[in-house]
Amino acid sequence: MLIAWRYRERNTLIQKLDPRARWIFLLAVMFSVIQFWDLRFLAFFMGLSLMYYFPARLTWKETRRVWTFVLILVVVIIGINAVITGRGGPTEILRGAGHVLWEAQWAVPGVGWTIHPIITVEKIVFALAQMMRMLTIAILFIPVAFTFNPNHYGVTFRRLGLPDKVAFSMDLAFRFVPTLARDFSLTLDAQRARGYEVEKLEGGLLAQIRKMAPLIVPVTINAIVGAEDIVNAMDLRCFGLRPRTWLHELRYAPRDYVLIAVSAALLGGAILVRTLLRVGDFWVPDAVLRLFGF
Amino acid sequence: MERKKWYAFGTREVVYSALGAALYGVLSFATNMIALPAAGNLALRPAVCIPMFFGVAFGPWVGFISGFLGNIIGDAISGFGFWFWWDLGNGLMGLIPGFAASMIADYRATRSFIIADLFSILGVIVGMGLASLSEMWVSGVDLSTAIVGYFVPAALTNIVNGIILVPILMVAYAAIVGRTGR
Repeated sequence: MLIAWRYRERNTLIQKLDPRARWIFLLAVMFSVIQFWDLRFLAFFMGLSLMYYFPARLTWKETRRVWTFVLILVVVIIGINAVITGRGGPTEILRGAGHVLWEAQWAVPGVGWTIHPIITVEKIVFALAQMMRMLTIAILFIPVAFTFNPNHYGVTFRRLGLPDKVAFSMDLAFRFVPTLARDFSLTLDAQRARGYEVEKLEGGLLAQIRKMAPLIVPVTINAIVGAEDIVNAMDLRCFGLRPRTWLHELRYAPRDYVLIAVSAALLGGAILVRTLLRVGDFWVPDAVLRLFGF
Repeated sequence: MERKKWYAFGTREVVYSALGAALYGVLSFATNMIALPAAGNLALRPAVCIPMFFGVAFGPWVGFISGFLGNIIGDAISGFGFWFWWDLGNGLMGLIPGFAASMIADYRATRSFIIADLFSILGVIVGMGLASLSEMWVSGVDLSTAIVGYFVPAALTNIVNGIILVPILMVAYAAIVGRTGR
């Protein structure tokens, strides 16, 4: 099995930014966007996310799988949830009768329950807002896997304030991945040579899970045995006694300071708008009401 | 044998956290490629046993980093982006079984299996519960959708995987634990 990082150098502006500044921006936008239900604000954040996404130069081929997953999740779970039940988020706004487009009443045979779905203009707008919010977050975070160099995770989070040991652990984890992938591949081949048919795991659900053990156990236990040597080597070199240095040092450029300032302004502005001005709640545009004949 | 404090994070914990995270990431990706037939939209991830087992064997911090970072690595390999609350939920799935570490002396004893499984179940409930409920303030879904749409499928499959595979890993680990001399 070949495991390849989705990351590759693309020579884009996004990748030229300091990874710390990018994380600050991503988290600032995420914590800003989740404060709003107003389509106008959500459209602004979605536009901002797209301005971040497109310069990353990700291809459809690369991202097709994740987009399929995200779109199914967004449309099926959130869309239908919002339109049919209309709950979640600003529930109290949707409790009112609203502008009814369609309603029905179905009795469930045998149990005596009644299902009373109502579709209102408000629920449709709410579904749209919910989708925009989730898509904005997806647009922001999908490029992470493709544009962040895995070798820089450790130093990035160390410089963002994580303890040295935890940051080193992150760094080490990314370095272990290719070795463990090779070990998994060797184990899979070895088990196949012994007649283990991974493609035809028979039996019930529990039996199938149990039959994964011949793959998972040897890889895990071999890795643990090998790790003892690493622990010993690190102990012999007095790991953890002093702050460590990093092979790759990060330095902020002026553009990074600009991005951090923009991030802080966005988050600060969002909090200000929501708490002091009390703007950004759920909003149904008049144009949408007119569109549906109200 | 001298017992370490549960919050200790020395060289051993650094290495095993990294190892657990890498294993969880690689095995999540690998076992996703080997599609296990499951009902509906339930995706079986046998690799979830890794953070639980690393928690049980090496303590809560190791379990937490294995789950949290491992999920990030798995998503990075698969190209699935970054989903903070689900990463955190996976971290909790390793952290909580880690509190069982101090109660387990013999990795082959039935009592140890029961303790490990109970803590693993609790870890899944708390971890997947937090991740599912986070969808209420992130995506704005209602409580019933968070529970039925997110929590139940995720928790159910993770619990089943955990309670079967964690004891198997414990038995295998028992065979080598004496060799480490720790």
